[in-house]
Amino acid sequence: MQLLRNYHYVAAMLLFCIGLYTVIMRRNIIKKLIGLNIMETAVFFFYISLGYLDGGIAPIRVGGADPSRMVNPIPQALILTGIVVAVSVTALALALVILLYRQYGTLDVDRLFRDEGEAEAGEGKGEAA
Amino acid sequence: MGAYRHFPILMITLPLLGAVFMPLMGYLRAKWVPWTAALPLAASSVLGVLLIGKIPAEGYLGYHLGNWEPPWGIEIRVDFMGLFLMLIVCGITLLSMVYSRRYIAAEVSEGRQTAYYTLFLLMSGAMLGFTATGDIFNLFVFMEILALSSYALVAITGNRNAVRAAFKYLLMGAPSSIMVLLAIGFLYSATGTLNMADLSRRIAESGYTEVLIVSYILFVIGFGVKAALFPLHMWLPDAHSIAPSPISALLSGLLVEVSAFAILRISFSVFTSGAENLIGGTMDAAGIFAAAAVLFGGIMAVLQKDLKMMIAYSTISHIGYIFLGITAMTAEGITGAMYHMLDHGLAKACLFLCAGSFIYVKGYRRIEDLKGAWRQMPWTCFAFALAALSVVGIPPTAGFISKWYLILGNIEGGNYLYVVILLAGSILAAVYCFRVIIYMFFLPGKEGAWEGEFKDAAPSMLSPVWILSLGTLFFGVFSYLVIPSLLKAAEFLL
Repeated sequence: MQLLRNYHYVAAMLLFCIGLYTVIMRRNIIKKLIGLNIMETAVFFFYISLGYLDGGIAPIRVGGADPSRMVNPIPQALILTGIVVAVSVTALALALVILLYRQYGTLDVDRLFRDEGEAEAGEGKGEAA
Repeated sequence: MGAYRHFPILMITLPLLGAVFMPLMGYLRAKWVPWTAALPLAASSVLGVLLIGKIPAEGYLGYHLGNWEPPWGIEIRVDFMGLFLMLIVCGITLLSMVYSRRYIAAEVSEGRQTAYYTLFLLMSGAMLGFTATGDIFNLFVFMEILALSSYALVAITGNRNAVRAAFKYLLMGAPSSIMVLLAIGFLYSATGTLNMADLSRRIAESGYTEVLIVSYILFVIGFGVKAALFPLHMWLPDAHSIAPSPISALLSGLLVEVSAFAILRISFSVFTSGAENLIGGTMDAAGIFAAAAVLFGGIMAVLQKDLKMMIAYSTISHIGYIFLGITAMTAEGITGAMYHMLDHGLAKACLFLCAGSFIYVKGYRRIEDLKGAWRQMPWTCFAFALAALSVVGIPPTAGFISKWYLILGNIEGGNYLYVVILLAGSILAAVYCFRVIIYMFFLPGKEGAWEGEFKDAAPSMLSPVWILSLGTLFFGVFSYLVIPSLLKAAEFLL
């Protein structure tokens, strides 16, 4: 019953798990990034639902507003920072994806990392400054 | 009350401010960038040194940002261990920065050098903030600045392997950051506060045990990825060996350690009251992984052909050492872990910078190519050997002192198996370190490889290397300057 009442937490955790599954199991790196964003969204959703109040009002004290009906603003403020971080991570990751695609010509993880062992063995002084 | 109250926040903001001005500097006077980038780090180091003795082992220095009282505002809280780690961070970042000037001019293309120094300063400032902050959400923010700048720095040369290593690092690092954010959300939902000191008071009152268990485990996994605790280490060997050498020194000498320190703080200054069983159980589990890390890292290091790859695997092994000290949960163990952070930071930074010098001067990366290297680069070779002795733990070096306390701590905690594993790890370290030393000094080189006139690295590259390697010797001989206070601070923490 408690689980049903807190259905928003359940939804957030389901989303989180879907995102984590996508990051781990998908072979396409763009899909991995989408999974990463789903994970992030799940956490944002969790935070926002923490501060949610049915019929709540903005937390501004004017003209005797009732403090017990005010929405908690802290999770929203925190998640604003979280969104900025998430955008930066996604931007950097996409930049790396572009570079990877230019140099390897593929977005498939298995093919990207297939020659890893050989590349390390073959990298002698050629790559050095 | 004195001016020194403001030092911790200045130590954090100076490098961050420097990072803001770097692009402008690059636009106006690109030649001055390496010099001006070292200034904020030097200033932070000076402020840090001035703080020595101002913070007692049992106390802390609190700073309220914007003069908002702690439970509501963000607090910077530097205790003795925090200051100890901040000084290590300042010292090693400054020395790597001095080393960077020549190395980066050769390795990184002209258009990216300003970006390199900007990211370097961002990373240094974030590490200092990460160590000092007393607010758990602030911890997340600094962790993300640190992580983002380090992903970008691994990829800065832009060649195939570097981009791939950075992407692998990001694919493991970003989900771990999200886990930490979720863990903070759980903690906030259970207690309604974000200040670490306030959290530790309220956790016992809250009574939401299940939420706390999930939150704590998410913290350990999240920071465990950043600290590269076995089996979450997969990103480390590539990222550490392919990054430019000064960045390898930072990643290996500092980043993994501040992450381990974050686990230490979360375990012992946040989840203290009412969660002893939870911490004890998790620490037992982490101890098993740490022991596996010591052996796995050591064995893999022995098998490597590439010098930087070998040092990177050795880092995995040494992270195991630091964690074995933390998981012993005794004052001696934690002292050993903290001292190992110092020793490992100095020695690993020195080894990576030496490896960088070999690449810079001769272009050799493979261990085989180092046969007979002392004939042309004696100074670099001797510094490498001294730091390698500290990695093994030979008596007059700092490595011996830290391993001594790690073993004492584990005997105290009754984990005799871990004592054996710590010793086995040292034997493995001896195998992979002495192999390189023997190659350098006692084997004849390949035809024409190391012949010709004396050709060591430039003074601006040699002096940081030598300061680091003499540092391992200094802190081995004069360990009594730090150890008693660390022991007291560790007892206070437990």
